[in-house]
Amino acid sequence: MKRSRFLLAVSVLTVGVLALAGCSAGGGDDDDGGGGSTTVTFRTWDENAAEAYKQSFAEFHEKNPTITVKIDVVPWSDYFTSLRTDVAGGNADDIFWINNSSYGSYASGGKLIDVDKALGAGAKKAWAPSVVAQFTQDDALWGVPQTSDGGIAVYYNKKLLADAGLSESDISHLTWSPNASGDDTLLPVSEKLTKDAAGTTADESGFDPSNITQWGYSAAEDLQAIYLPFIGSNGGTFQKADNSFTFTNPKTEQAFSYIVDLINRYHVSPGAADTNGNGDFTKDQFLQGKIALFQSGLYNLANVAGNAKFEWGVVPLPAGPAGAVSVTNGIVAAGNAHSAHLDATKKVLKWIGSKEGNQFIGATGANLPAVTAAQQTYFDYWKGQGVDVSPFFDVIKDNPTIPAPTGANFNAAGSAYKPILDEVFLGRLPVDKGLAQAQAAANKAMAG
Amino acid sequence: MTGYALLTPSLIGIVVFLLVPIVVVIWLSFQKWDLLAPLTAVGLDNWTNVLTDAAFGNSLLVTLAFVVLVIPVQTALGLFVAVLLNRRLPGSGAFRVIYVVPWVCAPLALGVVWNWIFAPTGGALNALLGTHVPWLSEPALALPAVAAVTIWSQVGYVTLFFVAGLAAIPEQILEAARVDGAGPTRVFWSVTVPLLRPTLFFVLVTSVISSFQVFDTVYALTKGGPQARTDVIAYSIYRTAFTDFNLGQASVMAIVLFAILVVVTLGQQLYFRRRITYDLS
Repeated sequence: MKRSRFLLAVSVLTVGVLALAGCSAGGGDDDDGGGGSTTVTFRTWDENAAEAYKQSFAEFHEKNPTITVKIDVVPWSDYFTSLRTDVAGGNADDIFWINNSSYGSYASGGKLIDVDKALGAGAKKAWAPSVVAQFTQDDALWGVPQTSDGGIAVYYNKKLLADAGLSESDISHLTWSPNASGDDTLLPVSEKLTKDAAGTTADESGFDPSNITQWGYSAAEDLQAIYLPFIGSNGGTFQKADNSFTFTNPKTEQAFSYIVDLINRYHVSPGAADTNGNGDFTKDQFLQGKIALFQSGLYNLANVAGNAKFEWGVVPLPAGPAGAVSVTNGIVAAGNAHSAHLDATKKVLKWIGSKEGNQFIGATGANLPAVTAAQQTYFDYWKGQGVDVSPFFDVIKDNPTIPAPTGANFNAAGSAYKPILDEVFLGRLPVDKGLAQAQAAANKAMAG
Repeated sequence: MTGYALLTPSLIGIVVFLLVPIVVVIWLSFQKWDLLAPLTAVGLDNWTNVLTDAAFGNSLLVTLAFVVLVIPVQTALGLFVAVLLNRRLPGSGAFRVIYVVPWVCAPLALGVVWNWIFAPTGGALNALLGTHVPWLSEPALALPAVAAVTIWSQVGYVTLFFVAGLAAIPEQILEAARVDGAGPTRVFWSVTVPLLRPTLFFVLVTSVISSFQVFDTVYALTKGGPQARTDVIAYSIYRTAFTDFNLGQASVMAIVLFAILVVVTLGQQLYFRRRITYDLS
């Protein structure tokens, strides 16, 4: 009966095992170069980027008529599960997008093309240094940088701001500090922007936290947009150099306490029962005009620009005691080391690592290109749309950043600590106790 | 020899899709494999790790609780609906279709819909009740909620079989009972239900197996949370294999589930074999 998905998983596993057992990988129906034509496959999770790549590969095909590139879009929710099983089964695409928290085990498992060897060690000079550094392991680069994410900033709803009697200058330099003591403007502003059904704001007496109709701020259990920046801005750390987790670092703990208080004590952000299981909740509520300040990254820019039916703007990330410290995260296109047509694959990698090949994802506004020379196309596109994207870049330019999560077993660690953080954000587990448990569980999973 | 030759096509299917995977999973249970690095033999490590893991014990208990919640309600409800449909009132054909619709729909799509129904803010159920209950993140409510969705989607399927079973009961037998002075309740419990036992056996065996293997609803609604209260074994296997990429331990868990199902099904068969003796032909 209802076990189709489970059966699918089991059969995928079986296929993988059969392939390992000797059925050997890949098609091999066509030769590299020569007279015949070759099809190189390319996998991504991003629909917007896929559209841009379509244009890019059309131009590539004109220059290389013997090579056709076919794009597969696999949704984010399934991406890393199916990629892993496909790589194990020898059915993976020739080139695939991969992120910082996943590439490590593929690289050490010998599944990826060494970009330094394939395109020459000098090739990386054309690419954003932060992305190159993120994807360098064992002194080799394991993918051709494709997007560079900028930093985190805050989208705001101009109408809600005006309704609360606030102006952009009130939110353009937001600050916070642990326990909302001292120099903290984020909390009072968020309170003014939070309303219950009767229209009472969170800083007025008689405010009913059980019947909130509008939230000031988007605090939630969101690694990239919320808790990493808060940890970084308080001078805390997320992982050590050996990739072990540091949730119990006192500065890190203060950051978590502050976020959890915003949700459960001051009620200026939606409850964790809404946000823990639905990563899109705050984005959806912002787009429906029910959250005034939405902290997020460039990855939501096209979404906000396309779907917000109100006037909006972007202000910088709130600064903590250690300043405004954001995370920045790139994406690379990795080559499949077991591709049946390595030469053609390398040609495509070279193309998407060039200005001409990479600029399409900037020109359509989908993502910031990681090829430095192609980045202007992105800024031009958003300037044309009347959007100032500088807050996303000022925060990482000449500023310290907090490293994005990494490590071969990061996925396993994430699934170990997430249920515990869920409880912390729900207020059912005290922050200090929860973080200690989360750290122990995560480090155990990280060790394998 | 010809007999075996004729069997070959289906035999190939059984060997490739049933026997080989089972042997491979047993072999994998003694290996460490993350799908990327080469396999390494680890002896009994996976077995001792899984069998001493409190989380695995929890998964077994949660699964058992789930089966206990789902099976009686689902079976009784299915039988009840089948009896109503069997009266052949005007419109019962339409109802027969309506009851099967949830079972026909893609479980993950239903999961998305139920996620919205259960949502604390903006969810249909809370809007209807005028409450703000976090149905899926409250430890005491999550498993019953998942069970309710499962029952809702399975009742039609169970009903389908009971309707067929009821239709197969010869009218003369029921008539004879009534002539002998049995009232409707007496006819139902002493004639209809005993004659339905073959159907009941089939329904119970298949729905117990599928409840032990419940996955889609949990995946779509709770992902095993809160506090692992819905961490049923099939979901736990999936997570171990495809999030933690620990194929060896996942294989051990799959074998344990397999063994449990064999025992439970054999038990059901023993129970029913002694009780199905009616020959209606």
